[in-house]
Amino acid sequence: MFLALKEIKKEKIRSGMIIAMIALIGYLIFILTSLALGLARQNTDAVNSWGIDNITLNDSANVDLRQSIITQKQVGNLTADQALLGQAPVVVKAKDHANTSAAFVGLKPDQFIAKNLKVSSGHQATRVGEVVADDSFKTKGYELGDTVTFNDFSRKFKIVGFTQGAKLNIAPVLYGRLSTWRQLKGNMPGAYASAIVSKDAGYRTKANGLKTYSKATFINKLPGYSAQNLTFGLMIFFLMLISLIVIAVFLYILTMQKLPNYAVLRAQGIPSKMLVGATISQSVLLAAAGLILATALTVVTAFAMPASVPVAFDVPILASAGVGLLVMALLGSLIPIRSVLKVDPVSVIGG
Amino acid sequence: MKPLVIEKVNQVFGTGTARVHVLHDVSFETEPGTVSLIMGPSGSGKSTLLSIAGGLLTPTSGMVSVAGEPYSDRTKKQRDKLRLDYIGFVLQAYHLLPYLTVQDQFTLVDKVKSTGNLSADELAEVLESLGISDLVHKYPPELSGGQQQRVAIARALYPNPAVILADEPTAALDGPRVQVVADLFKSLAVEHGKSVVIVTHDSRLTDVADVIYEMKDGYLTQKE
Repeated sequence: MFLALKEIKKEKIRSGMIIAMIALIGYLIFILTSLALGLARQNTDAVNSWGIDNITLNDSANVDLRQSIITQKQVGNLTADQALLGQAPVVVKAKDHANTSAAFVGLKPDQFIAKNLKVSSGHQATRVGEVVADDSFKTKGYELGDTVTFNDFSRKFKIVGFTQGAKLNIAPVLYGRLSTWRQLKGNMPGAYASAIVSKDAGYRTKANGLKTYSKATFINKLPGYSAQNLTFGLMIFFLMLISLIVIAVFLYILTMQKLPNYAVLRAQGIPSKMLVGATISQSVLLAAAGLILATALTVVTAFAMPASVPVAFDVPILASAGVGLLVMALLGSLIPIRSVLKVDPVSVIGG
Repeated sequence: MKPLVIEKVNQVFGTGTARVHVLHDVSFETEPGTVSLIMGPSGSGKSTLLSIAGGLLTPTSGMVSVAGEPYSDRTKKQRDKLRLDYIGFVLQAYHLLPYLTVQDQFTLVDKVKSTGNLSADELAEVLESLGISDLVHKYPPELSGGQQQRVAIARALYPNPAVILADEPTAALDGPRVQVVADLFKSLAVEHGKSVVIVTHDSRLTDVADVIYEMKDGYLTQKE
């Protein structure tokens, strides 16, 4: 630590450059992680808020809630642990507001999802013409009591409540009655619901033509969800790799320059352990300083970021990314350490 | 107890046709307060002998001991410790860490050897005698070559070693400076009681030597 601190203090410009590089990489990792998390949550917030373990869909719907139609006969008898829901994509129209693409989710008011729905303002929908909307409608200027219509559907709906985190596949959700969903589907013959959701992990449908999927399977099959996570994951992985290479190259160059000095120190009896410790400390100190700067930049960004940007700054996850960067810094010091361990003090004898 | 004893040391590098016998039954010992000069042309085996004397190389055969502690059967770590305790190297290339001030060069030694080093007063005295006491807050790149060499000597003296091993200490110096360095090594022996071994091919140092050895083709002989 002594040698590392002294070198960083003396070589301010050199150290500042690597700290700045790590800070920028760390900042990019933090922002991308937050963006990935924000988008992931916007895909799954609604599903997670339902508190379900599995979902039963039409087996030819390709695990897509929007494509699934279940008949009343297939539903059979449900317990209090199961609930029906119907999802339909809608375009929300209202006076003085731009059209908004959304997901209408129809519920039965006597089943657990509707009962457990938490409103951040207003109240739950108790009548057929009422809906509870995702909070993002509020940020778009909608207010309690506003009237909206869906697509070319003539019926008007009144927003009676707002709820937090009601997003499904990025689209904001409007919760209403299951009967409304049937109307939105044009009263398609036999269409009773889109899915049966259950909070009983052991629930499996016995009906022909239906299949029960775990919540994780359902989420992973959400359109674009896995591809999006994979893309972000790859970007973060490559940034981590870049940070490893930057740290390794920087430390390697610095260490190469110091090898004659280290050889003299080894000749004097200074143990390799101290020189290796200096290399590791230097790597960790530079990465830690870069991470502190990156954290500061991320905090500033978090405050400055408009609410419409789908980011989620989750401290434990960002801390994990930070730890990942520190691990990369440690790995980056391995190659220079190898050179330090191979220093031959005899090389400085005899000129 | 002799500060440094080398007995019947042989050093062989390589095998088969590449086999080179660098040192042949080399023996010598030093006394406290004396300057021993090992002279000889390049390639005669001087540097190899110095490396073995300092515990940097393990001889093919023979025995080396410093302050009564034999090197031969010690591990690398133990030899590091022996060097730190008993040997001070003054090398042709000083290679002071450029980001440590002169004072920090000594603090670094404190980090690995907390006892037996020179006290603050003793260090101040050494720095004064070397004429570098006003340079303690300077970094090596801010010093001249001569000043850096004196800092390197002070660094070698700081752990208070019994033996000083110097490798071609005057190779890069002009005439007047050679005398300054020669006098300095003499004073390390006489005033500080060190056993100084200088490996050189510079005959201008013979005036300060108590014993002169000649190394030729790996054979060491004492000159009368």
